[in-house]
Amino acid sequence: MKVSGAYPLAVPQERAYALLQDPVILAKCMPGCEGLDKIAENEYAMRMKMVLASISGQFTGKVKIAEPNPPNSFRLIVEGAGKIGFMKGDGLLTLTPEGTGTSVQFDGDVQVGGTMASVGQRLLDTTARMLIKRFFDKLATEATATMTA
Amino acid sequence: MIPQQFDYVAPQTLQEALSLIENGERKILAGGMSLIPLMKFRLAQPAEIVDLGRIPGLNTITESDGVIKIGAMATHYAVESSPIIRGHLPLLAETADHIGDVQIRNMGTIGGSIAHADPAADYPAALCALEAQIHLVSAHSDRTVEASDFFQDAFTTAMEPGEIVLEVSIPAEPSNEGSRYEKHEHPASGFAVVGVAARIRKSGDKITMARIGVTGMGTHGFRDRAAERLLEGGASIADAAAVVGAGQEPNSDLYATGDFRLHLARVHAARAIASALSRAL
Repeated sequence: MKVSGAYPLAVPQERAYALLQDPVILAKCMPGCEGLDKIAENEYAMRMKMVLASISGQFTGKVKIAEPNPPNSFRLIVEGAGKIGFMKGDGLLTLTPEGTGTSVQFDGDVQVGGTMASVGQRLLDTTARMLIKRFFDKLATEATATMTA
Repeated sequence: MIPQQFDYVAPQTLQEALSLIENGERKILAGGMSLIPLMKFRLAQPAEIVDLGRIPGLNTITESDGVIKIGAMATHYAVESSPIIRGHLPLLAETADHIGDVQIRNMGTIGGSIAHADPAADYPAALCALEAQIHLVSAHSDRTVEASDFFQDAFTTAMEPGEIVLEVSIPAEPSNEGSRYEKHEHPASGFAVVGVAARIRKSGDKITMARIGVTGMGTHGFRDRAAERLLEGGASIADAAAVVGAGQEPNSDLYATGDFRLHLARVHAARAIASALSRAL
C-alpha cells in the first residue's frame, strides 16, 4: 500500500533534517512509541503500544535510517511485530526549503499482515494515513517548540 | 474466536459507571456490535469491561420544545421504529434502517456506534447533516459537542478518557423539509462504502437551506459546507454534487479505490439532494 504526502515544518532545512534523525524526537512523534534504544549506527530497537479505538496491541521492532543524504533526503524504515500482526513501513523523506521553513515530502510503502490485516482490511489505508499524519503533526509541534526553546 | 479473559462489571447507576471509568482504563460495553467481534479476534483485549446495559433510562427517546433527545443506549431498531423519530427526524430513522442487518440493529446502539467512530458507520452522515449535539458526561464534566466537531478521525472522537456519550440532541426537522440518506452498501458487511445524507428546504423553486453529511469516504464523517453553500447560492444539483469530498483524502481498500469512493460520494450526493428536494414542500 502506497502512502504519500507533503508536510510543512516551520524550521530551516538543516534543522529539520537533524530533528528527523534525532531518536528522542522520533520516539516522541511516532504514535504509541514507548522508546527507542540505539542498537547500531542509525538503527534503533523500538517498543510501541498502539491504541486505536478498541484495538490495542504491543509491537516490538526496529527503526532504521538508510541512505542518508543530508540535508536533502533519507529513508526511514519502521518494522514491528506483535500478537495481532506485523507491519513494515519504508518511506523516502525528501526535504526542500519552503519560505523560512521546510517541506517534507513522504513517499512510502506500508505493509501490514496478520490478524489485524485480515480483519481490518477495509481500514488499513485510512489508519496508515492517519498515523503518518499524526507523526508529522507531532513533529511540527516539536519543531516549533525547539525554535522557541 | 474465544476472547482473552476479562473482568466484567454491570453498574446499576450512571454515577457508579462514571466512577468506574474515571481513570480511562476500563472499556465501556454498549451494544457490543463492534467491541465483541474485536475481542473475539483478540484485536481488543480489555482487562475489564463496564456494561452500561443495566442502567435504567439511558435508552429513552423524548421530544420537548422541538428538540429530540435520544439516549445513548437506544438501539438502531428503536431509532428506526420510534414514532417520535419517524415523525420529527425522518432522516435519522431512514439512516438507522440502513445499518448492518436486523440482528445488529436489535443490539447495536447509537451511543456505541458514534463513540466507536468507525469511518464507514452510517450515523455520522445523518448526525452531521442534522447538526446533532452529542452530550458527553464524566465524573467531573458535562458538555456538548456538535457532530461535525465530534468526529475527528478514524476511530477518533472529541471524547476524553473517562467520558461517555449520554445522549444525542437534535432539533426536529420542520415538516416542509425534505431529506434523504443514499448509501452504497458493502455487500458483505453492510457498512457504508459511501453514504450521503441531505436535507433541503425550499421556497418556490429556490433552495433556501441545504445540509450535506458524508460518511465512509474519508477517515471520518463530515459536513460538506462547500456543497451546501453552492446549493444555497442557486447552483445546480450537478454542480454542487461535483464538489462533494473535495479536499478530503478518500479511503481505499480491496473493495473500492479512493477514486471510486470519491465518484460514489458525488453520485450519491446528487441522488440524495434530488430526492430530498423532491420531498421538500
